[in-house]
Amino acid sequence: MIGKQKLIAHLKKALAYSKADDTEIVFIGSESGLTRYANSAIHQNVFENNCKIYVRTAVGKKVGVASTNSLNAQSLRKTIDNSLEIAQNQPDNPLYIGLAKPAKYKSMKTFDAGTAKFTPRDRAKVVKKIISVADKKNFTLAGAFATSSGEIAIVNSNGVKAYQPTTSASINMIAMSDTSSGYAAALSRRVNDIDFDMLANRAVDKCEMSLNPISIEPGTYEIILEPAAAASLLEWMNYIGMGSKSFQEKTSFLAGKIGKKVTSEMISIYDNSLDEKSIGFPFDFEGVPKKKVNIIQKGIAKGVVYDRMSGPKDKKKSTGHALTPNESNEGALGLNLVISPGKAKRDKMIEKVKKGILITRFHYINGFIDTPNAVMTGMTRDGTFLIEKGNIKGGIKNLRFTDAMLRAFATTVAISRETELVESWWDAVGCIKAPTIHLKKFKFTGKTEF
Amino acid sequence: MKDKLKECIKWLKSKGVDYADCRYVRREAENIRTANGNVEMLSRDLDVGVGIRVLASGSWGFAATAVLTSVDLKKTANKALQVAKASAMTQREKVVLADEKPHVDYYKSPCKKDPFRIPTDEKLNLLIGLTEDLKKVKKIRRAEASMDFFKTNKIFVSTDGAEIEQDIIESGGGFEALAFHGKEAHRRSYPNSFRGDYACRGYEFIEEMDLPSHTERIANEAVQLLSAKPCPDTHSDIIICGSQMALQVHESCGHPIELDRVLGTEISLAGGSFMTIDKLNKLKYGSDIVNITADATIKGAFGSFGYDDEGVKAQRKPIIKNGKFVGYLTSRETGPIVKKKSNGTMRASGWNRIPLIRMTNINLEPGKWELDDLIADTKKGIFFGPNKSWSIDDKRLNFQFGGECAWEIKNGKLGQMYKNPVYTGITPEFWNSCDAICNKNHWHVWGVPNCGKGEPMQSMHVAHGTAPARFRNIKVGVSK
Repeated sequence: MIGKQKLIAHLKKALAYSKADDTEIVFIGSESGLTRYANSAIHQNVFENNCKIYVRTAVGKKVGVASTNSLNAQSLRKTIDNSLEIAQNQPDNPLYIGLAKPAKYKSMKTFDAGTAKFTPRDRAKVVKKIISVADKKNFTLAGAFATSSGEIAIVNSNGVKAYQPTTSASINMIAMSDTSSGYAAALSRRVNDIDFDMLANRAVDKCEMSLNPISIEPGTYEIILEPAAAASLLEWMNYIGMGSKSFQEKTSFLAGKIGKKVTSEMISIYDNSLDEKSIGFPFDFEGVPKKKVNIIQKGIAKGVVYDRMSGPKDKKKSTGHALTPNESNEGALGLNLVISPGKAKRDKMIEKVKKGILITRFHYINGFIDTPNAVMTGMTRDGTFLIEKGNIKGGIKNLRFTDAMLRAFATTVAISRETELVESWWDAVGCIKAPTIHLKKFKFTGKTEF
Repeated sequence: MKDKLKECIKWLKSKGVDYADCRYVRREAENIRTANGNVEMLSRDLDVGVGIRVLASGSWGFAATAVLTSVDLKKTANKALQVAKASAMTQREKVVLADEKPHVDYYKSPCKKDPFRIPTDEKLNLLIGLTEDLKKVKKIRRAEASMDFFKTNKIFVSTDGAEIEQDIIESGGGFEALAFHGKEAHRRSYPNSFRGDYACRGYEFIEEMDLPSHTERIANEAVQLLSAKPCPDTHSDIIICGSQMALQVHESCGHPIELDRVLGTEISLAGGSFMTIDKLNKLKYGSDIVNITADATIKGAFGSFGYDDEGVKAQRKPIIKNGKFVGYLTSRETGPIVKKKSNGTMRASGWNRIPLIRMTNINLEPGKWELDDLIADTKKGIFFGPNKSWSIDDKRLNFQFGGECAWEIKNGKLGQMYKNPVYTGITPEFWNSCDAICNKNHWHVWGVPNCGKGEPMQSMHVAHGTAPARFRNIKVGVSK
């Protein structure tokens, strides 16, 4: 960790060197370790000390972006020169409206010293312990356990000065027998808040419950989506439809539907980086304060997230959801999505299913089939169970779903009170918080042999 | 830099490690995106660092740093050693590496025109022009074009005595048109979906694609999709275009033959494989005409290189021979498990990642058919265009692919266009239904820039040589 004063001073010195009309520097640095285990032994164990520094310069409306992973003054100057040269040698970008202005950011505790100090040996001790839980049932264990500390800083020639230190810890595990598997995972700023024993037992229990799975025919079923499964559907829905680019291109399933009912009124989805228990931070990569944004509220489509480039087209201000400068052409995206909890309890939700399927998680979802209708496909994995008359009867072989998500979420029956933080594609700077969800109708279109 | 790496190796040797390698990677990247006649992004990136892999007490450790002083490199080497010792706490079996000749060599990928020396204006004018041409067609809402270039210098040294330097230049690009009307939105792309085609070549690769001559057809096809009928839900004979065949090979053969997956070490993210060791030399993977090879030696292909990131020389090996499964992608650690040496497929996406078994150029070898003859030979069927969506289960059996578009085949001729086409199957059943593959006139090595694997995630450059092929009685559509 470099620290706020030293880092900001260093970046401001680099800013002063720039000859561009506008200059913005985004710094993302981290020390991270990841311990990967399989067949009940650690087989990959890595440590990385790295950073990425993006420089965006503008000459009038001509914009260039260059980046480096070296913080030394000479490299920074070279990167600024490179960015400026790119800017000078291209036509105007009509979407460019200048850089953000200074703002106040919410004070958030996003750094945990215990996580930052966690060593490879500490991780190995945890892995050894959870492997012993699986050993008791003669199951093997596989997964990954990561801890990291980092810092994000943004400065620009308008006077923006933003800094946030961060930590995160995540673990996923799959207990495996010859015929079944069971999954559990957790994510937190604070490694000591993760209950590793509970997770290992959950994975082992699921593996045991799904031993010798039976095959059932594809068709439309009631389903219980556990948080990891629900979050992975939301992750794709976000990517194809909740950001400004897809919305403005009209490929989003929300395009033309703002103010209209799109799901059950039980469904509310919002983006909120300002929750300290989440993996967000208080500003975006342009240095704009993050706002909580309602995407779907009680089933009604409310809007999407914006950055400074995409907002004006829809007469909106930035909601604080800009991506890093090298990805600004992708528009804004929500990195901290939440599906609002309901009032139900997981066990009671299962009791209300006459004949249905409990899904722990999905594998390889794809949402590009028909984005205006949010049609997606994917497979179940690591704990798929048949529910009959309110009881889990046992494991079933994995199924492929293909369905339109708005239609599926229109059939919501219940949502759990408890939510879980689930890792997302943006794991260093984002996550998804999801409850367990009961849907009345969900279409499975194929099955596999295990 | 090589001297600094050798110092680290010397120090690690003095600590009694079983094995160690140090890998310096310097990569420059340029990314250009244009849309609707404007530049949306022009960025350049420089990424430099060293990754150090240590095998100590029979377990692996890896540490990587972007700070390249001798002091920091030694600290990183020590960190890798400490990580290896931590790994040993759960050890069940010691890692043993297959012997490998310590190569001392230099490799350079073929490049006639260094893309980083091509004037920015020239690249921008081409891309802006493409999007302007696409937009000339009414109902094209958005036109995008892009190029990516990479220049990589790698130095590898190991305790075995290897000293290998490689310079690799990669180029790629393409365009797409988005048509929108009412509640319909459809994309068509060229030469392939998701950013086009890529190769280990220079700017001449971009020029040879002759992108401008395809804009009108692609834009018109995108508009045609707005009024096209949905692809029927049925069982049908299908012919799959070359670029979609590349993804089919990638997902249903390339991934399941990675021996680390087979052995369970990728299970937590990407999954395992149905092609288990007991099936080697026994499984009838496909019909007799199906021959698949792993070939990292194809000149200029996106999955080609001189040496992998364990210092093993690039090779060509059979994977599926006359339909029978005969080989895996292996590493120095996993090769001995199938009584083989490494076939040189261990690669890392950068200095800060450990090498994993990755696809090279995994190719469906060409057959005998001319495409026109194959279509003429198909009484009733569907011709699938480039990919739009992909999904396959964690053992690589049940797959479903969606295309940007498809065409009806009726009495041996292409007919009406279909929108949202999807086909699905179980891997060995599907490949055993293959009864025709087009010949070398239609064979092309498609570059895939974003093959994901590993934790932390590694996005790798791989490729697939394929030609259009026919499969009998395949499930098409998903409603029934």
